[in-house]
This record gives sequence, structure tokens and C-alpha cells, in this order.
Amino acid sequence: MLLVAGALAAQTKISGMVTDTKGEPIPGANILLLNTYDGTTSGADGKFDFLTSEEVIQVLVVKFIGYKEYRQSLDLTASKLTVHAVLKEEINQLEAVTITAGAFAASDESRRTIFRALDIATTAGATADIAGALNTLPGTQKVGESGRLFVRGGDGNEVRTFIDGMLVLDAYGPAAPNTPSRGRFLPFMFKGTSFSTGGYSAEYGQALSSALVLDSKDEEQSSRTDFGLLSVGADVAHTQAWKNASWAGKIGYTNIRPYFGLINQEVDWEKAPVSIEGSSAYRQRVGKSGMFKVYGNFNHSNFSLHHHDIDDPDVTTLIDINNNFRYLNGSYKTSLNEKWSLRSGLSYTLTQNDVQQDDVRVKEYDEGIHSKVVFDGSLSDKVEIRTGAEVINRDYHAAVDTSSFVPGFHEVIPAAFVEADLYASNKFVTRVGGRVEYNNLLNQLSVDPRISLAYKTGKTGQVSFAYGKFRQSPKNEWLRWDNQLAAEKSDHYILNYQLIENRRTFRVEGYYKTYSHLVKFENGNPFVLNNEGSGYARGVELFYRDNKTIRNADYWISYSFLDTERDYLNTPYAVTPSFASAHNFSVVYKHFVAKLKTQFGATYSFTSGRPYNNPNEDKFNNGRTKSYQDLSVNISYLPKPHLIVYFSCTNLLGRDNIFGFEYSTTQNNEGFYNSRAIRQPAPRFVFLGVFITLSKDKSINQLPSL
Amino acid sequence: MKTINIIPLALLVLALLAFKSAANDRYIESMQKNMQLVYTAKTIDELQMAVNAFERIGEAEKNKWEPFYYASFGYVMMATREKEAQKKDAYLDLSLKALEKAKAINPGESEITTMEGFVHMMRVTVDPATRGQQYSGLAMQTFGKAIAMNPENPRALSLMAQMQYGTAQFFGASTAEACGTLNKALEKFETFKSDNPLAPTWGKPMAEGMRAQCK
Repeated sequence: MLLVAGALAAQTKISGMVTDTKGEPIPGANILLLNTYDGTTSGADGKFDFLTSEEVIQVLVVKFIGYKEYRQSLDLTASKLTVHAVLKEEINQLEAVTITAGAFAASDESRRTIFRALDIATTAGATADIAGALNTLPGTQKVGESGRLFVRGGDGNEVRTFIDGMLVLDAYGPAAPNTPSRGRFLPFMFKGTSFSTGGYSAEYGQALSSALVLDSKDEEQSSRTDFGLLSVGADVAHTQAWKNASWAGKIGYTNIRPYFGLINQEVDWEKAPVSIEGSSAYRQRVGKSGMFKVYGNFNHSNFSLHHHDIDDPDVTTLIDINNNFRYLNGSYKTSLNEKWSLRSGLSYTLTQNDVQQDDVRVKEYDEGIHSKVVFDGSLSDKVEIRTGAEVINRDYHAAVDTSSFVPGFHEVIPAAFVEADLYASNKFVTRVGGRVEYNNLLNQLSVDPRISLAYKTGKTGQVSFAYGKFRQSPKNEWLRWDNQLAAEKSDHYILNYQLIENRRTFRVEGYYKTYSHLVKFENGNPFVLNNEGSGYARGVELFYRDNKTIRNADYWISYSFLDTERDYLNTPYAVTPSFASAHNFSVVYKHFVAKLKTQFGATYSFTSGRPYNNPNEDKFNNGRTKSYQDLSVNISYLPKPHLIVYFSCTNLLGRDNIFGFEYSTTQNNEGFYNSRAIRQPAPRFVFLGVFITLSKDKSINQLPSL
Repeated sequence: MKTINIIPLALLVLALLAFKSAANDRYIESMQKNMQLVYTAKTIDELQMAVNAFERIGEAEKNKWEPFYYASFGYVMMATREKEAQKKDAYLDLSLKALEKAKAINPGESEITTMEGFVHMMRVTVDPATRGQQYSGLAMQTFGKAIAMNPENPRALSLMAQMQYGTAQFFGASTAEACGTLNKALEKFETFKSDNPLAPTWGKPMAEGMRAQCK
């Protein structure tokens, strides 16, 4: 009876319009009466109408993606009703503006990033080294004899690496003097990379110029075994996956000796580098949202070489280097409730360096423990808070067997930070925060403010600005002599414009940076140090990436202009340091040819001449090297789903790049200082590797990890 | 005494059953109408209308997986018609979101898992060069799961066949395995029977189109 009565009742016509707060119509919105089937979709003009047989009071709901739900009670006893639904914009982390000043984020998960984790492995000339690949991005300067990242007029040690938020004390492997070192961490371990060339979050301390933040992968989904046969060694890796956990281990052996036997080297090796390296990672999901990770690696490397005297090349010194490295990182991440989540971690680094130079033996010991807790909270859709505390504990000493004095230090830095992202709308965000640090050696407390803003100028373009104060303890080699040295400081000002349109990205960034409290030699004496050094860096950088115009091809172009001077260490006055180059330009090109199942890659880099100090001249650092140029290529061939053949060659054209000059410490008979050029260890580095993957699913291969 | 009590009770039960079946009829009727719409829609706007209707039904019913499943299907179809990469991804995100609701209601349904694989497969088409590796593996794993849940599901088999065919062709390997899966899929499309009047029926023309490649 009830049903019949319902059917006989008069129908109500509900009509109206859906608009945003500016009165613009919203087409495609879903309009419904709660708990009934009745409703409709708004038209192109935002208008809608529908009939309902429902009676009494019902709730009308209007929904559209990107807007907050609209609700209104309607009394359906009337035969006609008109509704104007005004939808308010919802602040959505995925849609909202992001702060891009100084930052190059790369992630497999987020699809809006402009640099992908996979790019690191497939960039020609990078030889699967993280620093090598990032060196093709703007803001970096090529310093070929170091292999490290140099950012915006900063020294190589001013770039700090963080894994899952935890500081890595020594991110590069050992290398002979004036030969490039490689990063200790393989790119395939990470699902995301965020490379910041300035203005970064208050979460990252003890980094003067740049923060390289690496996010390790979560648990693996399938078990597999990988073999790699390389022209310079071999490796084997196994991954075991369970329902909520996975374990992966890798052992690698690198021996460059046979390769160096074939190809003439600039360095006079007694024993070319041999290293054995192992790493292991365990991941466990805990409950609904918890993730527990442990990662560890060890590396032992050994080499020795003859250092030839500049004045008389027949006079040689034997240098023998033994290096041991251990790294352990444990982290736990979980959500505490709907609003708050927790990240915590503990990392341990131990580096032992044993250097024998003729009769003198130096044993260097560097141990660090870093512990950290961070809370992330979404207080509302407009306010995000990040706050945390950490302690960085470092123990360093270097013992020389000819002396009983052991220079070193024990530094403890407790720190806390807080930072808030305030969204005015999806278009405008302000990030304000600061960092407080205490230093036990100086018994000093410091506060470093950071602020950044980002504003979306249109659908695809945005402007960001960042400012911050940054500090970092002096290098071990200075701090060990003088424990009272203050932290070196810098201020960054960055302005950035970025446009991302359908797989094309354009970016331009300008910056100004000042340095203060840099370590300086008093009257040129390297044993009497003070903090009176200073400097500046400024520049403009351009980046363009396009993987749309040419089918199956992806390329990017970077250009950086740098103007910098610093008065520090041994410089008599402010000069452009020898690692700085005014112009850096690179083009990276990757082309996949499906017919040949092959990806071809090429990278061209150009770096303008770098200063060097010629003691035969009056003016300090007045020499200029010729420009550095390099064309590198790589080829990956996939004949079978589980097999990859990889070939790469750096400096294909064999250009004799000179990075600088070393001078004799004494004048010769004619009152002249003799010199020797610092060259590449060899004109080219040729690498060939075969990678085989065994798994149940035969389509898995090592491409993502190459 | 007892008879007197039973009669109103029986009447009540009958009335309730009638009410329930009337409601159920209305559910099936509304669903079928919109399924027709989503299967035949040509434009993104038409698909949006169908998807909205499914979401309305889903919100009202709360414990039925089909509305969210078809909303998810509608979003995948919208992605196939969209040209802009970013929007394509946005539709696929919405598709997964709707699918999650369906999954929460009926986690063991092979059709839902198949749709999940379909979304991964579509992700590849947005940017094959950089996504192929990651998402095609994921799609195949998911189709494998769907087949394990119901070996009779022709859609899971036919999409799996497509992935296998693509992989084999890429590596110049034999397509025998892919064609074997396809034949099984075609067979299951003929025999597929479900008690559920709202069971999906899509995918057959796509499988038949592939038959020519397997000759």
C-alpha cells in the first residue's frame, strides 16, 4: 500500500545550476538525492534538472572532482524547486601547487616529476652513478677529476646525501688523487630521488649547498635472481618476496686490473683498484600502514700507485690506500591516526681509511650515528605540519704513526625543526619553518629560518621563491686541527619559474647565495685556522625536457651560468675557486628503437675553462684551463625478456680534457715552478655488461636497475 | 491460538519479501539501463553521465559491488578517449578509486581484479617508453591473479593474451603462448555463464579482433 501511495504522489522537479565560487559553471557534476537513485549530471552550461517522486525532506548532494561536496536539505512537498549549488575548491595535495625552487624531484610513483629515478641508470656518461646523472642537471658544475657533485659555487663536501631521511657521512667511495670517485649507493635501490640545489626544507641540516634525498624502495613483489657479468667484474643478487616482506642481497666484485692492463692509464698504478662490496635490504609491512626497513652495506677497497715528482718524474712515492666502509640504516614509518604520521630512523656509518705514503702511515677513523624522529600532520586541508628532532653524533680521528698527537673531534649536534605548509588555495602555498641546532664543541645554539612560496600562474606554469639560512661543520681535515672552528654558513635566495605541458618541461631559475664563516688559513698557514672566510655565488639556469616531439625519444638540455668568488683557505683575496666554471651545458638524448629492441643514448657536456693558480704569476688563481667537452654514448640491447646487454663509452672522441695544473713546491734553477697537467685517468672508459634475470615471471629484467 | 499468530506473521514476511524483491528489481533495472549506456557511450560526456549514475546507485545501495565496478569501467573508457596524458592519468586514478570501493565489498571477485589489471595496462599507453617496464609487469601479475581467482573469466584471459602477445612480439619470440591464452579466452566467452544478471559482458569483440593475428 505504501509503495502504491508513493507512486501516486506528485513528482517534484528539481532544477538549478552548479558553479564554482567565481560563478563559472561546472559541467559533469554529479547531483543526487542522498540514499536514492534520483539525480542527474550537470550539462556544459552547469545547468541541471530532474524529477523525483521522493517526498518529505531529502538531502541534495552535488559532487565534482577537485571540489568539496555540497549539501542542502530540500523539502520535496513543493512541485518545483530551484537550487544554485556553489562548490568550493578542495585543496588537494596532488593537484595543488608544489614548491619547486631549487628542487629536482624524481620519483617512480609521482607522475608529475620532471626527472625519473630510471633516468639515472639510462643516462649516457653517468655510468649508472647517481652523481654522474645529476651532473646533467642545471645547478651543477662538472669537476671531472673529483666525480662528486659541485653545486652553485659550493665545494664538493657541501652536498650532503640522505637515505630515507638519514644522513650519510661518506657518500663516495675512495679514489686516488685527481681521479673521480663513484657514489657508494646504487641507483636501483631507490624509488625516488630529490635533488635540491638550494632553499631546501628545514628537515635537512648540516648541508651548506645542496641536499640529495634518496628514498629507498618498499618491499619487492616477486622473487628473482640477477647475475651481472661486467668487463670490470661480476655481481649476483637475489630477492626473496613474501606476502608482506622482502629481502634482497647483492654481492659485487670489481677488479679494474685486467682492464687497465689493456688500456693505457694516466695513473701509474702499482695495484689498480679492487673492491668487494655487499648490500642487503629487508622490508616488512607492519599492520595497515607501517613500513619497517633495514638496509646495510659494506665495501672494502684497496689500491696503490706511484706518485711521480713534478720536477723529476723518476722520483716516485708509493701511495697505498685501504678503505673499509660500513653503513647501516633502519627506519620505521607508520600513520598514527587520520591526521598524523610518524617517521623514525637510525643510521650508522663507519669509514676507516688506511693510507701508507712511503714510510708514513695515516689511519683515519670516522664514525657517525644519526637518530631522528619526524611527525607529519595534516591539520586541515590547508595546513600541513612537519616537525622533528634528531641527534648527529660524530667521532673522528686521524692517527699518524710518526707522531703521538692524534688530531680529531667528537661532535654531537642535537637539532629540532618545525615547518608548516599553508595553502591559501590550490594555487598558492607558503612554507615557513626553522631549525634549531646545538653544537657541543662550541657550546652554541643556532637558529636557521627557512621560507618558500609557490604560486600557480596558470594551468601549467608556476613561480616559486625560496630563502633560507644553512650551516655545516667544517671539513674533517680542518675541524680535527681546531675543534673551536664554527660552522660555515650560507644564505640562499632562489627564484624559479616552471612550465610543464604534456610531457614537455621548461624551467628557469635565478639565485643569489652568500657565504660567511668559511674556514681560512691565518697568514696562509694551514695549521692556524679561523672562520674569517666569505664569498658569494649567483647565476641563472635553464632546463628544457621534451619526450613528446620525437617519437620514442626523450631528451633534455641544461645550461647553468655561474659567477662566484670566495676568500677562503689559502686564497690571499676573493677569487673564483678552481672547481667553479662559468658555463655548464649538457644535452642528454635517449632513443628507443623497437625494431632493434635497443635503446641508444648520448650525452654531450661542455664546461668552460676553470681557474687554476700558477705560482709563476703574481695574480692568484689567474690561469684558465681550456674548456671541458665530452660526448658519451650507451647502448642497451634486450634480445630476450630476461637478458640485457649493455655497452657504454665515455668521451667517444677521445678529447684530452685538462682539469687544472699541479705545481712543484720549489722553484727550479731558473726561478720557475714546474707544472703538470691534471688529466683524465684515460681518454675513454669502455664498459660492457651482460645482465641475466631468473624469475618465475620471465618478463622481469634488470632494466629498471641498470 | 497458533494459527492466528502465524497468519499475520506470514503476511508480514511475504510483504517484506515482496518489498525486497521490488527494490532488487529496481536495482537491477537501473543498473542494466546504465550498463547499456556505458557500453554504447561514444563521448567522454556520455560516459561521465553513466559514471555519475553508477556512483549515485552505489552510494544509495552501499553493499553492491557492481555500481562501483561499472563506474571504474566508465573511467577507463574515458581514459581511452582522452588525448592529454595528465587527464588520462587522472581518469585512471578515479577508476582505481571506484574499484577500491568495489573491492572492499567483494574482495574475491575476479572481474574486479581484471579491471585493476586493465588500469595498469592503460597506464602503459600514456607513456610506453618510460612506463612499459613497470606497468606491463604489474598488469600481467594482476591478470594472473584474476585468472587464479576464476579460471573461467574470459576477460582476464583475453587481456592476459594481449599482454603476452605484445611481449612476445617485442622480443621477436613465439606468440604460441599468447595465442593459446587467446583461444582459451574465446572459448570461455562462449561458455561464460553467471547467475548474476549484472555480470560484465564486455571484451569479446576485442578478443575476436585479435584472432586474426593468431592465424
